[in-house]
Amino acid sequence: MSTMLDQQGRAAAVLRRFSRTTTAMLLLVVVAGAVALEVASSGSFFEGSSVRVFLQYLATPILIGLAQMVALCVGQLNLAVGALGGFTACLTGVLMADHGVPAVVAVGAGLVTATAVGLVTGLAIVATRINGFIVTLATMTILLGAQYRLVGTRTVDGYSATLRDLGSAAPLDIPLVFVTAIGAAVLLGAVMYRTVAGRRLLAAGGNPLAARLSGISTDRQIVAAHTLSGLLVGVAAVTATASLPGVNRSVGGDWLLPSFAAPIIGGVALTGGSIAVFGTVLAAFVTRLIDAARAQFSLDPSWVNLLIGLVVLGTVAGGHLHQTRLARTTAPSPQPGGAR
Amino acid sequence: MSAVLLECHDLVKVFPGVRALDGVGLRLTAGSVHALLGENGAGKSTLIKVLTGVHSPDGGTLTWCGEPVRLRSPLEAARTGIGVVHQERNLIPGFSVAENITLQKPPARRGLVDHAAMTEPAVACLTELGVDLDPARPVRELSVAQQQLVEIAKALHTESRVLLLDEPTASLSPEETDRLFGVVRRLAGRGACVVFVSHKLEEVFALCDTVTVLRDGRSVLASAPLAGHSHDDIVSLMVGRAHTAAGMRPRTVDRSAKPVLELDGVATAGGHRDISLAVRPGEIVGLYGLVGAGRSELVKAVLGLDRVTAGEVRVHGSPARIRSPRQALHEFGIGYVTENRKEEGVFLEQPIVRNITVTVWRRLARALGFVPAGEERAVAQDLVDRLGIRITGLGQHAGELSGGNQQKVSLAKWLAADTRLLVIDEPTVGVDVRTKRAFHELIWDLAHDGLPILLISSDLAEMVTLADRIVVMTGHRVRGEVDNDRDYDRMSGRIIRLIHDRDEVRS
Amino acid sequence: MTTSVSPPDTVPKERTAGHRMPFWVNQRLGLLVLVIALSVLFGVVRPAFLDQRLVLFPLLRDVATLTVVALAQMAALSVGHMNLAVGRMAAFGAMFAGIGYDKLHLPMQAGLLLCLAAGAAIGAVTGWLIARTGVSSFVVTLATDFALLGLVSLMYSALTEDAAFTTRPAGVDALRSYSLADICAGPVCGSPAVPQLAQFTVLAMLGLGFLYGGTRVGRELLLTGANPAAAELSGIPTGRRVLLAHTLSGLLAALAGFMAAAGTGTFRASIGDDFMLPSFLGAVLGGTLLTGGVVSVLGTLLGTALVGVIRKGLDLLGVGLESLNIYLGCILLLALSADRIRTVVSYRKVVRST
Repeated sequence: MSTMLDQQGRAAAVLRRFSRTTTAMLLLVVVAGAVALEVASSGSFFEGSSVRVFLQYLATPILIGLAQMVALCVGQLNLAVGALGGFTACLTGVLMADHGVPAVVAVGAGLVTATAVGLVTGLAIVATRINGFIVTLATMTILLGAQYRLVGTRTVDGYSATLRDLGSAAPLDIPLVFVTAIGAAVLLGAVMYRTVAGRRLLAAGGNPLAARLSGISTDRQIVAAHTLSGLLVGVAAVTATASLPGVNRSVGGDWLLPSFAAPIIGGVALTGGSIAVFGTVLAAFVTRLIDAARAQFSLDPSWVNLLIGLVVLGTVAGGHLHQTRLARTTAPSPQPGGAR
Repeated sequence: MSAVLLECHDLVKVFPGVRALDGVGLRLTAGSVHALLGENGAGKSTLIKVLTGVHSPDGGTLTWCGEPVRLRSPLEAARTGIGVVHQERNLIPGFSVAENITLQKPPARRGLVDHAAMTEPAVACLTELGVDLDPARPVRELSVAQQQLVEIAKALHTESRVLLLDEPTASLSPEETDRLFGVVRRLAGRGACVVFVSHKLEEVFALCDTVTVLRDGRSVLASAPLAGHSHDDIVSLMVGRAHTAAGMRPRTVDRSAKPVLELDGVATAGGHRDISLAVRPGEIVGLYGLVGAGRSELVKAVLGLDRVTAGEVRVHGSPARIRSPRQALHEFGIGYVTENRKEEGVFLEQPIVRNITVTVWRRLARALGFVPAGEERAVAQDLVDRLGIRITGLGQHAGELSGGNQQKVSLAKWLAADTRLLVIDEPTVGVDVRTKRAFHELIWDLAHDGLPILLISSDLAEMVTLADRIVVMTGHRVRGEVDNDRDYDRMSGRIIRLIHDRDEVRS
Repeated sequence: MTTSVSPPDTVPKERTAGHRMPFWVNQRLGLLVLVIALSVLFGVVRPAFLDQRLVLFPLLRDVATLTVVALAQMAALSVGHMNLAVGRMAAFGAMFAGIGYDKLHLPMQAGLLLCLAAGAAIGAVTGWLIARTGVSSFVVTLATDFALLGLVSLMYSALTEDAAFTTRPAGVDALRSYSLADICAGPVCGSPAVPQLAQFTVLAMLGLGFLYGGTRVGRELLLTGANPAAAELSGIPTGRRVLLAHTLSGLLAALAGFMAAAGTGTFRASIGDDFMLPSFLGAVLGGTLLTGGVVSVLGTLLGTALVGVIRKGLDLLGVGLESLNIYLGCILLLALSADRIRTVVSYRKVVRST
């Protein structure tokens, strides 16, 4: 009896806590936005084909958002998200089209390359102790050059039909690429919440000194985070290759900003130590909704960037307001060390 | 005699500009509670960090149960059997209480964390401390005292044979402290050795049986039985020599003079209530209290970094509403030598000349805000000479100086600005004895020349040496005020009593 | 006391024992030597490199523009912040100049002023947001970048027909193609390699050099970057300094945008697209610290010049323009690794001497 009451009480507390989170707010925004679009499009938004298109182009924002989130969770940045994605997509495409490599092998090579680049980036940061911002800026530059060298100005499109079919396949109007992205998110969530390795990443991001004192090597976590980030970018690149009509030098060029927007709107702190897998996915939904709305009202694509920029600015300013209000309402108790 | 667990000889640890440990010996035996004492900056925290593998020593030997050991990382130290509660907060804010407690060895199967299995050991540790906390709560939601208890529980969880507690009681209530002492005694009874670091000598005498005293990075008393020493012996060992005002120019304070700074029933958003005090020209008023009494926070609120919610601050007799340190400096002539030298006092990566002249650029500036470099250097050189700061050149970075010289640089910027009131916060933390003496004379002379000084210090001997009156604070309130007659024993007795009265009231 | 009374022969010895590096590790000197050595090398291998009109003139015009871009970044870095929107602020400023010329038919100078004012305003808004909310400059400038990216293209498509302002008042074309050779004092003319556009760069460098080297505000900016907490407690209005740094950054970015537009001849939305990397390259190679507190105006010029020379030289050697990025990224990493080694060595030296 008492345990049941206890459980109910706990569930209620969890629910109450959840209702105040960023995630809950985002969920509300997503639902409201979708309903508004449904009304605006006079009922065509929830039709199979438009849902399919909506979800098809949601896979990449989710994946690159998650890739950035993994870097952010240890207090790092990954400016090379777009460049690495573009490079990997071009590499996969070129391997298949120019060298006749089977799709499976090419995809595998792409994933391995992206992961390896992430690993090297992490190692470089740890070995040189140079700010991760600068290191990833450098790798971004290098990868942009490499991508150009691979494809030049042409568009590579003569690659595996199987991969293409998989990319555009959508059983029950749910595209496979979207399922892949969601699968990656669920897997990432499980890793971060449930595995020792994931907890170590978060511990190192949350309080590096404390983590070190508990025997967690922060250096190793930084390397691990960049490697995982590279892997996720690789997955994003593969889904992009599969669903795009062809790959060229512009792939990945517009990934950098969305990759930061999703985790920041989703409630991930830049200082590290926090993740929000569901929040990031929802934030990607929000940005996609903005895009869909733009298409609905046939506005200039530039509106999307403007709105996303304003949303991010609003999020950070709002978060600040929320915190100051919190600081005011919770009466400061005379605690030592409070000045820190 | 019981077995020796951990022993060290001649430990040396060097940081840029300071020899933090310079020949430390220590012997920890099973079943004892060992006090590690010393003033701020004597090297206690550094020693703890060396013993727990955070820093590797630059010299000396370390043995564990008779075998030489090298502790290359905190993990190695923990595996050896050395656990620790550091002074800094060492919890992961986003993790639950249970996960923090079990952080070192999270219960896991095949790489998967078993969140359910964390609860039981966590609750066991918390119960041992007599704490009732939901193990599933994230640590960031806890109060400072609760976090401290979680840290202690975390150390208990490692079941170490040597447990180092660095100022564990700093933010605990008397009941919580008592329960902690019970736990410490039980641990010792089970054959562990607990090393106890505290500024509160009463606690040390109540709990410990052996003692090591550090001074300026050396052990002046190594692992001796505590029973053979009196309170005063220990204090004089820590301080090093009888502190007197002898040799300093006699100084008298005109008690009828109008106070330069006056607080009248001040309350702050930080939790201070009903604070009243006054500082007159040429007077050194001491603000004494233990760590966490809220002294620095009070000063910061007066300087406009926190809100003053009630009462009145008067400068030169007229009510003042200070909104920022800038206004405090330029309108009211109040300077604040901060306690936290490296983080708030000096600009480590900047040349000394800039460190000193930062407060006077406004005065030196010509048209278009141009500051003539020659005049700037002259001001800085003048102060370097006056304070005897040892530097190789004005362009040298402040971070390359020793602690004492950094502190002088931090003071110099306020002297450059000709402040009319100086607040000096913990002036001699991490400063060697000789510099300390010079510093005391410096502060004394400043007051002698008529500068009113509000001195904050946790070092009672320093207070008794310098202050004319000592205001005692605990728990963000003023507990009383004593006139200083420069007799250490009498003064320390009266001040400790003031602090204790409050504890009794609370318990 | 020591310095003033000690016998003269011990003073230099003490000096070298301090933090001062021997002259050969001086970053700026090293850069200068590198720039000259590489120019000579490229000149020997490809004599065309030294062609004043065809190679050096456009090279210097690029360097002049990119130096201003890097100075814009340096202004933000001086307080320990970043300006990721530096390129978009340039586009934003240039757009106002374009509007001024196309719609309001302003003379060149007035359009330039409008451009600078717009840049300063957007920089100030960014700085205000950062100072007010305490959110990291990275996030705020990134979001500003987003917003401006959208806003600028929207305005171009609303105000123009083919997404560019083509009206150019008298003087803009002169800026684009005139060099010092067009200024003659009697029979003596200047070099045809130095573009007149560089006058803005020189002005910006002089202004910033005076600000950071000679004035109270400049020093306060640097100390705010070095240690915000200590700066606030020392009586520096850190909030206002952060605001100022970002305003300056916006102003300089807009100037760079104007220069880029004048250099290419059209005011379009794509101006500043590729500014972000050179802005960091120039500033950081020149010795400006990402953590704030140390800037180098001359170093920024030299850093940018080095990048420009390498770009042009490799281009002439037949390395594809885009593949150049590979080398530039590597150079950035190598240069900073060398810097890191120097820091470690000097740290060890200090420890040993204690």
